[in-house]
Amino acid sequence: MSLQITDLRKRFGETQALDGITFGVQPGQVFGFLGANGAGKTTTMRIVLDILRADSGTVTWQGRPSTDLPRRTFGYLPEERGLYPRMQVLEQLVFFAGLYGVPRKTAAAEVRGWLARFRVPEYADRRAEELSKGNQQKIQFIAAVLHDPDVLIMDEPFSGLDPVNVALLKAAFLEMRERGKTLIFSTHQMETVEELCDAVAIIDAGRLVANGATADVKRASGKRVVRLGVAGDPELPWLADLDGVRVGRSGRDYSEIEVVPPRDPETILHAAIKHGERVTRFEIADPSLEQVFLDLVGRQAAPDEERTLAHLPANGRA
Amino acid sequence: MRVRVANVATIARREYLVRARTRSFKAATIFLVVAAVLVTLAPLAVRWLDRDSTARVGVHVSTTLAFDPIARLDTTVNLPATPGGRGPFTFSAVSDPTAGRDAVAKGDLSALLDVARDPAGDLAFTIVSKDGPTLRIPTLLRQGSSVLATTDRLLRGGYPADKLDALGVPPSVAVVGPTPATPGEPPKDFAGEIAGSLTGQALVIFLFIAIVLYGQWVAMSVAEEKSSRVMEIVLNAASPFELLAGKVLGVGALGLTQYGVAIIPAGVAILLQDRIASLLLGQTAASAAPAASGLTPALLIAFAVLFVLGFLLYAVLYAAAGSLVSRMEDINSVVAPMTMVGMAGYLIAVYTSSGLIPADAGWVVVLSFVPFLSPYLMLSRFATGLAGPMDLALASALLIVAIVACLWVAARIYAAGVLTYGQKPSARALFTAAFAHRG
Repeated sequence: MSLQITDLRKRFGETQALDGITFGVQPGQVFGFLGANGAGKTTTMRIVLDILRADSGTVTWQGRPSTDLPRRTFGYLPEERGLYPRMQVLEQLVFFAGLYGVPRKTAAAEVRGWLARFRVPEYADRRAEELSKGNQQKIQFIAAVLHDPDVLIMDEPFSGLDPVNVALLKAAFLEMRERGKTLIFSTHQMETVEELCDAVAIIDAGRLVANGATADVKRASGKRVVRLGVAGDPELPWLADLDGVRVGRSGRDYSEIEVVPPRDPETILHAAIKHGERVTRFEIADPSLEQVFLDLVGRQAAPDEERTLAHLPANGRA
Repeated sequence: MRVRVANVATIARREYLVRARTRSFKAATIFLVVAAVLVTLAPLAVRWLDRDSTARVGVHVSTTLAFDPIARLDTTVNLPATPGGRGPFTFSAVSDPTAGRDAVAKGDLSALLDVARDPAGDLAFTIVSKDGPTLRIPTLLRQGSSVLATTDRLLRGGYPADKLDALGVPPSVAVVGPTPATPGEPPKDFAGEIAGSLTGQALVIFLFIAIVLYGQWVAMSVAEEKSSRVMEIVLNAASPFELLAGKVLGVGALGLTQYGVAIIPAGVAILLQDRIASLLLGQTAASAAPAASGLTPALLIAFAVLFVLGFLLYAVLYAAAGSLVSRMEDINSVVAPMTMVGMAGYLIAVYTSSGLIPADAGWVVVLSFVPFLSPYLMLSRFATGLAGPMDLALASALLIVAIVACLWVAARIYAAGVLTYGQKPSARALFTAAFAHRG
């Protein structure tokens, strides 16, 4: 049984924030939840967590409605990051864990373990306001996992982290998966999704536009990508004469060419040879998730700006 | 709706401990304790400072009198405030009125009382003083002048001089109610009612201060949590209802701790005032401050019950109000309606206790059961003996119903409010949102 989201609808004033969202997440999966700013990701997450109630539709985990589940089923890293600024790190993490029923001693030991793995054991006695933003984010991640939830829901967990901390967090994700946890997160870093996610859902303007195993979603567009490298001039003027072909990225070593059916990717190799090119590289691949995303959503992905319920009627969905 | 008591306790505990540790809380508590004790002992301190100071007043008599005016003044208006102490004046005879006026001008004398006789044969007085006619020394000297004039008239009319002192002895006066409808019931005890109404007024003031002060704390604590955006993490673990209840209980308990810490030393100071007075001033203990008469165990219980229930009712709404703002400086405007309602109850109660509004008026009786006003009005009616234990029980029951109802509504406003940043939501948006959220 899985986390099953069925026909979620939610309206804020004049704005239909969610318009019949349906998808499922299998237990133990790492799941990417993608969409442009204001597509409805945060609203969906809040409804799954029962922080917000949907106008209609259901959310179930292992067959039970999310409204009936114990709160400790879920761990949540919200997009709006916040800690109690004047409380010590250890003390507030023990407090958060306490709300999920974790005994103080167990929680304190867990906290120290996590701080050590994030290479910041000395932060236990520091006040949250003394930490940098990236380090506060690590503390919040710990707050989300401390009570050992079955499902971990994270809104933009990687935003604002430096590459070292991104690597630490990715390692933590993989460990959570090893422990059999289900991870759902939103991000605009498509490489990270391709690297970590077993499956994805892409939503746009409150509607689901793609869902499935990451590889299937990439393939479902029907497009293929040809990476073609030639000796000498990397400009390939003859490509302009071919139908169903678009140069996605032209580089010094190779060009990336999108191929739309019914054109067969192999015809490009034939055309190159016909035009006397000395081919150094020819590769047929699935399109990148970023390309799929851009095709589906039609907008360039950008980091989420601050977005709240209060803004909704004016400029869309959260 | 399932409420996990453990979560409420965890949240209340955090609120209490984190706040109690702040430097500002400790400083404010120490300040309150010192201030409360100082205010309590202030009258004593004034008396101690004034123990040797008397106003020197010259008396110039330019006519013939059948009695000694200074002796007469000393036995009438120059009585000490406490037995064995000194009166407010030291009178001395002045032979030259011009020199007397100069002495007042230079400050050697506080005042000069010039006694003459008008053409009709009655005494005429001139009070020379730098103080205006309404201040203490001229006022007391006017009373003294009346005594001298009356004495003069009595003696001229043939009243025996040896009975003058007996004139000032106060008569025995009893004020009682009309014969009771039920025979056997004693007449109404007005003395007890007066003591009760004074005590009631004091308790109503204590209650009002606590509700406004600590209600504000609750609102600030919510707004603070919201502005630091930690709310969403907490909301995943605890329901808005638990968060709200924990906050009200935690901040409330801390407020009551501070209040208790400040009031107990002040109470001890009041009780010990007589002893401190006798130590400092060397007087008999009976004379000092009026004892806390009227503060019966029943009234204390009523005060405790109404205090706790009244605070909870207001604090719940203060918390809901706090959840509507994103910035601390907007708090005052959102809590204003509650403060106004509280103020209305407080003022009616104080006017009722002081007799400006009849305490048994029908509308006062009705309002004393209305939840937002009952903490003040029932307390004041109970203190004056106009309301009994049954009235208190009914008002408390209505308060409890109101608290539960307000908690339910407030938790929804709170749930809608805490996730709303940036702007103040409209009443309609809030109403809609409030009923779309989980409780």
